[in-house]
Amino acid sequence: MTTSTEFQHGMTAPLKAPMVITAGEPAGIGPDLVLMLAQQPRQHPWLVIVDPELLRQRAIQLHLPIEIVQWQAGDTVPQAAGVLGVIAEHLTSPCRTGELSTTNASYVLRTLERATQGCLQGCYSAMITAPVHKGVINDAGIAFSGHTEFLQELCKVPKVVMMLATQGLKVALATTHLPLRAVADAITAPLLEEVIGILDQDLRIWFGLASPRILVCGLNPHAGEGGHLGREEIDVIEPCLERLRQQGLQLIGPLPADTLFTDKHLQQADAVLAMYHDQGLPVLKYKGFGQAVNITLGLPIIRTSVDHGTALDLAGTGRADAGSLATALQYAAHMAAIKEHL
Amino acid sequence: MSNLRPTVALTLGDPAGIGPELIAKLLSKPSTLQQANIVLIGDPWVWEAGQQTAGVKVETLAIESLQQARALDSDRPLFVAVDSVKPEDVQVGVAAASGGASVLKVLDMCLAAVSQRHIDAICFAPLNKHAMKQAGMPFEDELHYFADYLKVDGFFCEFNTLGGLWTSRISSHVPLKDVASYLSVERIKQATRLIYQSLAAAGVAQPRVAVAAFNPHGGDGGVCGREEIDIIAPAVKALNDEGLPINGPFPADTIFLKARDGQYDAIVTMYHDQGQIAIKLLGFEKGVTVQGGLPVPITTPAHGTAYDIAGSNKASVQAMENAFAIACRMGASYRAQTRG
Repeated sequence: MTTSTEFQHGMTAPLKAPMVITAGEPAGIGPDLVLMLAQQPRQHPWLVIVDPELLRQRAIQLHLPIEIVQWQAGDTVPQAAGVLGVIAEHLTSPCRTGELSTTNASYVLRTLERATQGCLQGCYSAMITAPVHKGVINDAGIAFSGHTEFLQELCKVPKVVMMLATQGLKVALATTHLPLRAVADAITAPLLEEVIGILDQDLRIWFGLASPRILVCGLNPHAGEGGHLGREEIDVIEPCLERLRQQGLQLIGPLPADTLFTDKHLQQADAVLAMYHDQGLPVLKYKGFGQAVNITLGLPIIRTSVDHGTALDLAGTGRADAGSLATALQYAAHMAAIKEHL
Repeated sequence: MSNLRPTVALTLGDPAGIGPELIAKLLSKPSTLQQANIVLIGDPWVWEAGQQTAGVKVETLAIESLQQARALDSDRPLFVAVDSVKPEDVQVGVAAASGGASVLKVLDMCLAAVSQRHIDAICFAPLNKHAMKQAGMPFEDELHYFADYLKVDGFFCEFNTLGGLWTSRISSHVPLKDVASYLSVERIKQATRLIYQSLAAAGVAQPRVAVAAFNPHGGDGGVCGREEIDIIAPAVKALNDEGLPINGPFPADTIFLKARDGQYDAIVTMYHDQGQIAIKLLGFEKGVTVQGGLPVPITTPAHGTAYDIAGSNKASVQAMENAFAIACRMGASYRAQTRG
């Protein structure tokens, strides 16, 4: 993994506490990815919350040499190639690679709870999540709409913001998984103030930006073109941005989304706020080439995640790509280092 | 010269914009002249100014009217002089009703020639809609003006093309809150069929067309919106039943990656920003707009009049060249169909 220039500063200072990865759905590629990353020496210490037996079996399946060390608080975290520090959380029932089982839904959630509690207590400096399978957790009778909402509840915060990042581009979303026909009604001044407030604050705390510059997308084509193509910019977005500017925030926009994502504008900003999912994500995927990460803002802890799913069909084959998890680790280390040095 | 060559009309566009300069650059390239029997129509003083800006001199053959163009198929561009605007009424770099009136007069003449089958395609240099409206155009854009003039009663829409990739959209300049109401099985079928047929007319043997989804993650099986299940997928199925190999619906965040990797020739998008964001990322300066669903091919660069650089010889001719090349290919198909 090459280290992008974006991560140069803050990378040399050692983290005070190790980071922790949750290996996610046991039948998916999560265990494969941590085994792949553990084949190289690590610059920053990280541990994995996972069933060690599951990991051993998967390593055999993948023909990857691995020494698994069960880590206890106070121990040194192994960082050498082929050695992996693990916090043991046991499966409820044995797992077959690539086959979902509702009985292990509670195991998946236990790994998330342990990571979150550990981060809240300061035992870990950040958590990085491998993919979970929402469907099988819900099929097990546990209402679960995603990592983001689960962590929001565990951390007892009123609002979180989903931000995706790749080299040179960070995009936060005002609305996430809403049907498109419901988006316009959801764009309200209180929502935007809350989302922009979190984005601005977390860019300061986690990314060390003294005065973050945020580019805000319009909602309508051509950002409404003076009201001819929709009035939300005039009625909602502009007045809201103006209020926030008076509080000292650096906000540019609302701009037409199709021109905003060109270099001319992006070079002037630290992050973009998109109004809806497909306004922001296609650009990120296009620019990211599989190296995009999902960052949850608004939490008292650092949480980054891969931008892909469980890929059940690839589990155990060795064909999974660990690039997104490696990038998620880089971002988490970068954010943790900045937080520690503030 | 073979009389099978399409006769393509070129216009100078808004006289205050970069159009005259672009046409001068286009016609100074030998490769341009091989593609068609070209007939340029415009004011001699505007054309002269364009050549001066571009620093080129293009030899033309003056003719009386567009009507004569086909018979005079020539190695040199033909030139029909009009008197549509006075030098004192044009300030380079400034939109004005006089420029809009000039554009309308020239396009009217081209459309009349199309109706009488004197020309096989029109390729126009950038114009300014607001200037045309100031000059009395009673339509929202030039596409609606063309459709009205040519009495089109079927489905028509604009295509944006970029290299080998074409896109169209089900709704265009409408507020986001209304876009869902524009989706219908019939509209998606018409738009998709049209882009398929237009690609074929532009010389793509077996067009590979994909249809975009509407909601995040393509609706996630109905959890995140039902338009895919209720409208888009049934439209795709109906097209497949007609024998058109159309794919989709695909989520917006992956469909343009597939297109970039060469898997598709065209994407039918559901709303303005779904396609436009991607198109601009892919390289807007090369893009072409094709006016789809009209009886005759009409193309133009996707960019505008670029008033800020007009008269300075800084304009890139690439999109204009691409627009002309597509007009020639589609014009040849049109000529083959309408001949005899």
